[in-house]
Amino acid sequence: MKKLLGAILSVVLMVGLLAGCVSSNSGTTSKANGSENADKSGKLKIAVVPKLIGIPYFNASEKGAVQAGKDLGVDVIYTGPTEADAAQQVKVIEDLISQKVDVIAVAPNDQAALTPVLKKAKDAGIKVMDWDTPADQSVVDLSVHQIDDEAYGRHITKSLVEQMGTEKGEIAILTGGLSAANLNSWIDGAKKELEENYPGLKLVSDKIATDEKQPVAYQKTLDLIKSYPDLKGIMAFSTIAPLGAAQAIQEKGLQDKIAIIGANLPKDSIPFLEDGALDLAILWEPDKLGYLTVALAKDLAEGKMPQDGQEVKNVGKIEVWEDGKTVIMGPPTDFTKENAGNYDF
Amino acid sequence: MNILKGLSKESVLGLIALVLTIGMCIIAPGFLSQQNISNMLFQIPEFGLIALGMMVVIVTGGINLSITYSAALSGVAIAIMQSHGYSILISILVGLVVGLLCGFINGFIVSKIGVSAILVTLGTMTLFEGVILTITKGNSISGFSEAYSLIGNGYYMGLVPLSLLIFVIFAVLTAILMNKSKWGRNVYMLGSNPIATLFSGVNTNKVLMGVYLYSALLAAVASIIMTSRYNMAKVDLGSSYLLQSVSAAVLGGTDIQGGYGKVMGTIYAVIIFQVLSSGLNLLEVPRSIVGIIMGAILILVLILNFVKAKVDEKSQKKAQQETLVA
Repeated sequence: MKKLLGAILSVVLMVGLLAGCVSSNSGTTSKANGSENADKSGKLKIAVVPKLIGIPYFNASEKGAVQAGKDLGVDVIYTGPTEADAAQQVKVIEDLISQKVDVIAVAPNDQAALTPVLKKAKDAGIKVMDWDTPADQSVVDLSVHQIDDEAYGRHITKSLVEQMGTEKGEIAILTGGLSAANLNSWIDGAKKELEENYPGLKLVSDKIATDEKQPVAYQKTLDLIKSYPDLKGIMAFSTIAPLGAAQAIQEKGLQDKIAIIGANLPKDSIPFLEDGALDLAILWEPDKLGYLTVALAKDLAEGKMPQDGQEVKNVGKIEVWEDGKTVIMGPPTDFTKENAGNYDF
Repeated sequence: MNILKGLSKESVLGLIALVLTIGMCIIAPGFLSQQNISNMLFQIPEFGLIALGMMVVIVTGGINLSITYSAALSGVAIAIMQSHGYSILISILVGLVVGLLCGFINGFIVSKIGVSAILVTLGTMTLFEGVILTITKGNSISGFSEAYSLIGNGYYMGLVPLSLLIFVIFAVLTAILMNKSKWGRNVYMLGSNPIATLFSGVNTNKVLMGVYLYSALLAAVASIIMTSRYNMAKVDLGSSYLLQSVSAAVLGGTDIQGGYGKVMGTIYAVIIFQVLSSGLNLLEVPRSIVGIIMGAILILVLILNFVKAKVDEKSQKKAQQETLVA
């Protein structure tokens, strides 16, 4: 044991020493390859990196991105980690830098984690932008938002009140995960609306995490119903949480007593919308977001920045903030039982 | 089969790694580009360290499911120390201590109380996750100094990534400890037959405790590299490495029931994973397909090892019978 400890200690010290000599010698090699981006075919290569691949939301945005690639004559590489893990996402981006793409558009799993690798991409002459979820604003050339976060949160609160039919009572907030930046800013918006305009509504607890898993959301909703028998409404943020919550409501037959507003996709919600367990699903159209991302990426690679009120084909009018690089796709779409069947995501 | 007969499991794996690398050089465009090579060299260390940490535990017949979360916990400790203005050395020391403490908890419950490793580490995995969530509220913690980021991103002498050097040092250390030290011998013995080991006068509790401490140490070192590379610490830091590290250890020839496992095998396995992942990416193979290919290769190698073990057994029996007859 003593020997082992001795060995460990000496290694730790050695590493400390090594770290000492490194600081002066590094950082020189990272700028080795500059702009060798010219592709043989002359086609622009645009990489779109989602938070993870293989979930309905990002599959829908992939469709839009690929369609835009076809329409606009650019190569679209849609690739991402198989888990929503920042470390895996960094690797994906490092690999894309090796592939010498022209633009990388990323939906970060974690802002801070991606900053170094995005800087590396910039050093390699690649244009960097974010979509879906903001990255560190100092490294991106363009930031595509589906929605104005605060306005969206407020819209959800208002819709909940509308569906509840009263401005008094107990409500709860479910969220996908406590660390998701976009979910948190929507919830902040929703809470602001509550505080300012609906003092009669009482939140029974802080936001409740559901780990982006339907069974967890289902269980937590059952617990909520049990602990707060007077609960009148639930806001469920994330594309998965509303399904679990609605499942619980359906099972308990509380469709008329508890209103649920979810931030989810229409196709999954149809059974719950028809049943009345889920009152309204509010989201944007992810395929349009994918399309817009690729369209703006192409413009960016050609040196064109978006303009406020610019009309993007197949997407609509976009809003650009005063900083010149924050783009808002447009207002959210309400999916009800009448129109949910029209969408294939 | 005959060609493979004379080679150990590890050498076969080494050959596979070599063939794969050469194959990728030929078919994947830009595999030999400086950018790609430096990517691979930077990506290997963190995963390699965790895989080695997993391997030493599997050799005792256990498994360490809390390895990535203990890494994340030490990462969070380092991040908090750094963001409160403590020096790099002190922060790293605190991180290592926190990591070793996690290892101690695992080791204590497994060795002293005698609960099976999979249950204990499953429990501590949830425990560490909960502790991190309580501390961080699920947010990521950042605020590292410039110099700290060099550990994961810097080059030693402007040529070799520092993190790779750290990995090599620890790989050599692990190999020496496992093969040349008394403790290492005891680890293998414990893995193949714990009861016989106990009755031959070895303090198995101490050996097991050492294994979990060492595993946690490697995890903590990996977390130093990861936090430095990703510039943050978070509850799910490196969580995708958990099952990957088990597959790397097993692909590397480690017997999941304990008693066998070599550092070199694990390293070859890590290299195979890396070459495949980078190469297939350059070939623009979708990620989900990459998963399928990796899984298929894992199963193939395991079957190959199994068949080889059977063939060896048969020929041994034959040889025995022949000597008996003679």
